[in-house]
Amino acid sequence: MLQVQNIEKYYGSKNNVTKALDRVSFDVEAGEFLAIMGASGSGKTTLLNCISTIDTISAGKILLNGVSVADLSEHELAKFRRERLGFVFQDFNLLDTLTIEENIGLALSLNHQDPGTVQNQVREVAGRLGITDILTKFPYQVSGGQKQRAACARAMVAGQSLLLADEPTGALDSKASKNLLEIMTAMNRDMGATILMVTHDAYSASYAKRVLFLKDGRVFNELLRGERGRPVFYHEILDVLAALGGDVSDVI
Amino acid sequence: MCWQRWGVMSVTLSKLSLRNAKRQAQDYLVYFVTVVMAAALLYSFNALTFSQEINTLAQSMEMLPAMVAMATVVVVCVFGWLVAYATKFMLLRRGRELGTYLLIGLENRQVARLFFLENLAVGGCALALGTVLGGLLYQAFRALTLALFKQPYRFSFGFSLPALGLTAVCFGLIYLFALGRSRKYIRKAKIHHLIYFDRLNEGVVIQTRKKRRWIFGASILLGVVGTGLLMVRDLAIATAGAGCLILFLFGFFLSFASGVPAFFDKRPARKYRGVTLLVFRTLTAKLATMGVLMATISMIFTATILSEGSGLVFQGLFEGRAAENACFDLYLGVGDGRDPTVYTDYIEENIPVERSLEYQVYLSGGHTVRDYIESQTVYYYFNFVQEPVLRWSDYAALRSIAGYRAVELPEGQYLFHCMTYLEDALKSYDRPLTFGDITLQPGGVYTEHLSQSGGTVNGRGYILVVPDEAVEGLEVHHWAYVAKTAQPVTRAQFYDLWDINERTSSGIASNAITTRANEEAEVATQTALCVFPLFYLALSLTMTAATILTIQQLSESERYKRQFSLLQKLGMNRREMAKALRTQFAIYYALPAVPPVLIGAPFILHLASLPEPGVMVGMSSPLSIVTISLGIFFLIYAIYILLAYTSLKRNVLPQ
Ligand SMILES: Nc1ncnc2c1ncn2[C@@H]1O[C@H](COP(=O)(O)OP(=O)(O)O)[C@@H](O)[C@H]1O
Ligand SMILES: [Mg+2]
Repeated sequence: MLQVQNIEKYYGSKNNVTKALDRVSFDVEAGEFLAIMGASGSGKTTLLNCISTIDTISAGKILLNGVSVADLSEHELAKFRRERLGFVFQDFNLLDTLTIEENIGLALSLNHQDPGTVQNQVREVAGRLGITDILTKFPYQVSGGQKQRAACARAMVAGQSLLLADEPTGALDSKASKNLLEIMTAMNRDMGATILMVTHDAYSASYAKRVLFLKDGRVFNELLRGERGRPVFYHEILDVLAALGGDVSDVI
Repeated sequence: MCWQRWGVMSVTLSKLSLRNAKRQAQDYLVYFVTVVMAAALLYSFNALTFSQEINTLAQSMEMLPAMVAMATVVVVCVFGWLVAYATKFMLLRRGRELGTYLLIGLENRQVARLFFLENLAVGGCALALGTVLGGLLYQAFRALTLALFKQPYRFSFGFSLPALGLTAVCFGLIYLFALGRSRKYIRKAKIHHLIYFDRLNEGVVIQTRKKRRWIFGASILLGVVGTGLLMVRDLAIATAGAGCLILFLFGFFLSFASGVPAFFDKRPARKYRGVTLLVFRTLTAKLATMGVLMATISMIFTATILSEGSGLVFQGLFEGRAAENACFDLYLGVGDGRDPTVYTDYIEENIPVERSLEYQVYLSGGHTVRDYIESQTVYYYFNFVQEPVLRWSDYAALRSIAGYRAVELPEGQYLFHCMTYLEDALKSYDRPLTFGDITLQPGGVYTEHLSQSGGTVNGRGYILVVPDEAVEGLEVHHWAYVAKTAQPVTRAQFYDLWDINERTSSGIASNAITTRANEEAEVATQTALCVFPLFYLALSLTMTAATILTIQQLSESERYKRQFSLLQKLGMNRREMAKALRTQFAIYYALPAVPPVLIGAPFILHLASLPEPGVMVGMSSPLSIVTISLGIFFLIYAIYILLAYTSLKRNVLPQ
């Protein structure tokens, strides 16, 4: 459903150029759970921003369901984002003046859904993600894990086809991380959500079905989980990281 | 040693705080502009009070300094409040920065000093800039006043030392009060409190639904009752009305913010329509902590509109009353059959006259017209026991002296000359009048100003004009004299005439001496006396309140920016974002202005309709006074709203 072809991204002015992405290519199939791993500064956020059309690429092509996002107008891009994409960020990104329910409902009202059905839809998704009892609370009244689950709910409530997550567990403790990753797995498995998650954390990556390794803006390796158990996959990821010569301590 | 360390630190610190100040400058630019304007206003009005030129324009202009001084006291308090509020506000917003200074080992005392000096510098700049601006503003006031008194204006820029001194003192008071308070706050502040202040989430005003509804309902009722009581012509009752209105504003704004979420919670379908959700949540988050402030601002706006309206009503009243008497360069009315030659001798000797007329006002012997008028209008108060009458040839001469067009008196008819408020009643009067053996038919109504408001003038509101032969045998009511003079009658001449009057007659009240020059000076004086101080107040109040509203709004720009950048990621259109921002803005600024308009408009309408009819006309008609007062208020307000909106839109909406 998503094809990334040879994309490049440069930052900065003429005489001081940072190459954040260097000929990156990969595909994401519908129903996949893909993790992109890399150390801090390897270009993960940049990649995600390019895919989510928040940022523009310097070269290459991004096709979503066969449509090149570069050809879309500002107006169409906005429409594209609110209908097709769901976001979960490291720093939660819920509006602090809205209740959890309203934060989730926002995705629907931005899509101009019938206002009368919004509440019910929100409650249904919240029920599946186990956050029904915090719906009337404000973000500052709930825990980080609950906020991330609310963000997940917002990312799928309007029927978005692709969930983009940028270090979703970055600000969570291990228990909350585990909980969130399990929920994302369930979303992928039971609700058919396509998930693209970037992370620097091997443990988080081990929940995915496939892992791409990014270093200095380039894809270095790919690892498929297949039928292996998650702990096994986790160790394989660590092995790849070691083989990559990356600073393992930095990655873990 | 200690000093040295402090010296080094203060250098780095002042660099730091300068950088911080720069970053926040955008948010507080509006505040700075207002403080500059405050200095400008203070200086220009102080200069007005110290100006010999202005204060000797007319005798009662001597009262101007006292009136302006009273206004200045209020203005200093209002600006003092503004500066104290804004300083505290900035202090809390910068808590993290100031707290960090404490964290790295500075003492509270030093941080307080840093903050104090920083603000003092800003205040000093504002004072300097404001004084220069005030010098120009003073020239504008001077030109306006001189034009009012029909005196020539020549531009001469200069500073008045006493005015400068007084302005500096006022400013000193304003700043010392504000800074003293924040200094005390910093000296006692705990690091934790400073650093975490901006993290504190707005507390939701917890109120049970029943209580909130009760307060809301009661406050609306108080508002209506209070507005009604304000119009009763009794000081005690009007004061009670003002009390009701204050309660209304506080009740309304305290219950409103918490009532809105409850309203939408029960109507989820409405909440999720369009941009409603964003707008109402942004607003209620802001208003939840601003109830008291909003009520105060609303109160200030009410006071502003009321003072603008009353200023215009008083001005219109004087102008309207004077216009009636300002139609002749010189008018004398001598009653009780006294000898008028003492006056005419003086005039002959001292006042160059181009044209004059001596004539008599007669009494008709009946009062059927007066009875008719009294049956038609509720306003008429009579001075004449019988109908006052003018001879046609005198009337024609009067019109000519006053510069009005010539009119005809057809054979066998009589005319009415009246003030505008009696026009309709007299036009409908269709009965013939009989004088001796002459019977006359109604022949028309004229309404130019003709000195018709009093006892020894050309009638009370109206006079009959009849053919010369018809007045034969009629009783004379008083002797009168009008003149068109070569130059305006001077103040000295006018006082001489009154002196003669005082010396020669016991019943001063029964005689009338008016001059166009004096009436005009009187109007100019009254205009200066009520319009200047009241508008000085109104301007200061509006600016202060609008600034506080704007500071509150702009200080949220970081939050709005985060919000809109997230919304952009979520796929919201720029157009929709602009709409949400606009709607939020419109409601935010409309809220504190709506109650004042609802209270002010009926009150001013009422006040303007109190004077006798015929006075509040044209630009001074009740409706135009309401329009002008609201217009001026909204003009100033709109400037602030526009400033805030453009600045916010540029800063918070993604490109
Ligand atoms: N707006 C920007 N301007 C200039 N350089 C940037 C910008 N954003 C990211 N970079 C650079 O691009 C590289 C990749 O950054 P990023 O995608 O944020 O990495 P990651 O998310 O993997 O930590 C880094 O070297 C970073 O310094
Ligand atoms: Mg990143």
